[in-house]
Amino acid sequence: MTVSKAFWKIVLKNISTIIMYTVILVSFGTVSAQSSTTTVEFEAVEPSIVVFNHDGEEGITKNLIEYLDKNAEIKTGFSDDDKLKDALFYEEVVLVVDIPENYSKDYLAGKNPEILTRSSAGYRAELAKVMLRRYLSVAQSYSTLGLDASETTEKINAALESSAKVEVLSKVDSSKYAKASAYFSFANYAILACVITIICLIMSSFNRMEIRKRNLVSSVAISKMNRILLRNSCLYAFGVWLMYMIFGYFMAGGDILFSNYGILFAVNSFIFCIVATTIAYLISQLVQGRNAVNGIMNVVALGSSFLCGSFVPLEFLPESVKFIAHALPSFYYIDSNYKIQALEGFSLDEIAPVLINMGIMLGFAILFVILANIIAKKKQRVA
Amino acid sequence: MKNVIEVKHLSKSYKSHKAVDDLSFEVKEGEILGLLGPNGSGKTTTMNCILALLKYNEGEIKIFGKEMSPSAYDIKSKIGVVFQDVAVFDELTVYGNIDYFCGLYIQDKTVRAEYVEDALKLVGLTENKNQYPKQLSGGLLRRLNIACGIAHKPKLIFLDEPTVAVDPQSRNNILEGIKKLRDGGATIIYTTHYMEEVEILCDRVIILDKGKIIASGTNDELKALAKIEEKVTIEVSELSPSQLSGFESIKNVSEVSYDNGVMKVVFNKGKNNLADMVDYLKDNKIQYSKIFAERPTLNDVFLELTGKELRD
Repeated sequence: MTVSKAFWKIVLKNISTIIMYTVILVSFGTVSAQSSTTTVEFEAVEPSIVVFNHDGEEGITKNLIEYLDKNAEIKTGFSDDDKLKDALFYEEVVLVVDIPENYSKDYLAGKNPEILTRSSAGYRAELAKVMLRRYLSVAQSYSTLGLDASETTEKINAALESSAKVEVLSKVDSSKYAKASAYFSFANYAILACVITIICLIMSSFNRMEIRKRNLVSSVAISKMNRILLRNSCLYAFGVWLMYMIFGYFMAGGDILFSNYGILFAVNSFIFCIVATTIAYLISQLVQGRNAVNGIMNVVALGSSFLCGSFVPLEFLPESVKFIAHALPSFYYIDSNYKIQALEGFSLDEIAPVLINMGIMLGFAILFVILANIIAKKKQRVA
Repeated sequence: MKNVIEVKHLSKSYKSHKAVDDLSFEVKEGEILGLLGPNGSGKTTTMNCILALLKYNEGEIKIFGKEMSPSAYDIKSKIGVVFQDVAVFDELTVYGNIDYFCGLYIQDKTVRAEYVEDALKLVGLTENKNQYPKQLSGGLLRRLNIACGIAHKPKLIFLDEPTVAVDPQSRNNILEGIKKLRDGGATIIYTTHYMEEVEILCDRVIILDKGKIIASGTNDELKALAKIEEKVTIEVSELSPSQLSGFESIKNVSEVSYDNGVMKVVFNKGKNNLADMVDYLKDNKIQYSKIFAERPTLNDVFLELTGKELRD
């Protein structure tokens, strides 16, 4: 009871540290929530184009212009070339189509006449070019058949009307879970910082040689005292996890957290809290004192957060960094968050990658406990 | 009186260095035993061995008639320790610290609250009980360190140099507190290299040097070991060389020195030394303003036994 009381008094004395990291997490969560309002609605885009027709309104030329008009917005009033260049620069117009004189006649004669184009940069210009190329490549395939103008346009139109049927297989709105994934991934830093700092500070107080000697000569067995400290450390880590889950409820939305996705996010972060506690236990065996603890905490929490994609999404990290990150438990925690976000279902096969990551994290936890115990025993022998 | 501690042939080595060498002694119930010796003489090592904080190479240690070991919790429950270095939590208040260390022994909240208040009174920290250790001066911090070690009212108390680097007021307060603990029935082991404290406090003294006991006994018994009987200091404004050399002819005089108008004469064992000295001054018409005699100190005993000062 006395040891537990002292433990929680020291936690309260360091409450400002806990508040600081929580505020950082909540601030990030708020910013992340506002920037993640993506949509899965699709809308056809009609690029703006200008057509200069030097051929006339008949035959294949007429048909090409009708096709362009149907699939793009044809703008007029650009007789001044400088004005047209400005329009291309500012993307008011993305493609200029120049149909040469006798185009239709030369086409039917199989001469394969060339249509000149000018375009702006950007995806809308590419879209317009694809649209024009599609017509021309279809038209080219009929140019050598010796058909007359009406037969050719009929066949071109029939070919252009047939389109591939696209079925949307995934109806999961992954952007809905992106907020939760971003929140929990950033929580990597907050959990590590909060758990390591506080537990290490407490353990370093209890492990200070003078205090340790006084505890050793007392009538409480040191093994019992260590058990009490470990139990309270776990309880503290659980408290941090619970607090971040409550904030997560508001940040990511309650409907997500009470879904299967939410359960997986919660279990994943809970396992990571266990890992963070074992990291703190290991560090407390290695260093003592507030400055040393803060230094190590910054290296571990910030380092692993940067390397493992807590601050920058994993897909933006170089392969070499990702390779190194595999040696850190944070990588598996954050990777799991991404995998949970992208889940289509919850069969064992589908969640297996997430479960494997959780298993690896628990493996890290066991490794850290073993290392900490080896160091602790070595220290006892030295004393 | 029965023995509270019995140490027999205790030896402790750090590689080739023998820190404690075949130490045997006992501590009687209700006494204050002083372990006196210069730094590195083996006082703290001896204490740590007795408390089972250190493994020793040879010997036997019994406390309250039972063998002491790291798992002897029934013995430990009756022991209080004040270490040389201040051992308190910076994050807990004065009251919180005493309550924590007392709580390792006393489970009953009401009793503990009473004991903590008693400890605060004993060391004079009642007014500071809500302060944090960092807000205390060095002296007050030492007092807190003592309070943490004795709050549970142990029967046996180890005090390892509790007055190192404290102001005179705090030192007096600490020494008074220790006397009160003894008067309350506690047996105390007091390690120090301040001979004045040993002379004021201790019923019995063990003098250590290089891990060995070089002398033990009461203050008077130890002082009896010294060859010198007394040291006489005289303030003399003028003294001719012949008068000065004449002092050496006085019976039992072993050493004479004169510097800046202050003359010091050391007498070996013998009777009427001071009277003979006064007679010599009168006979030779030597004018003096002050004259006083001192008994040999434990430092003199240590100096004679080891050839070096206690604080070397």
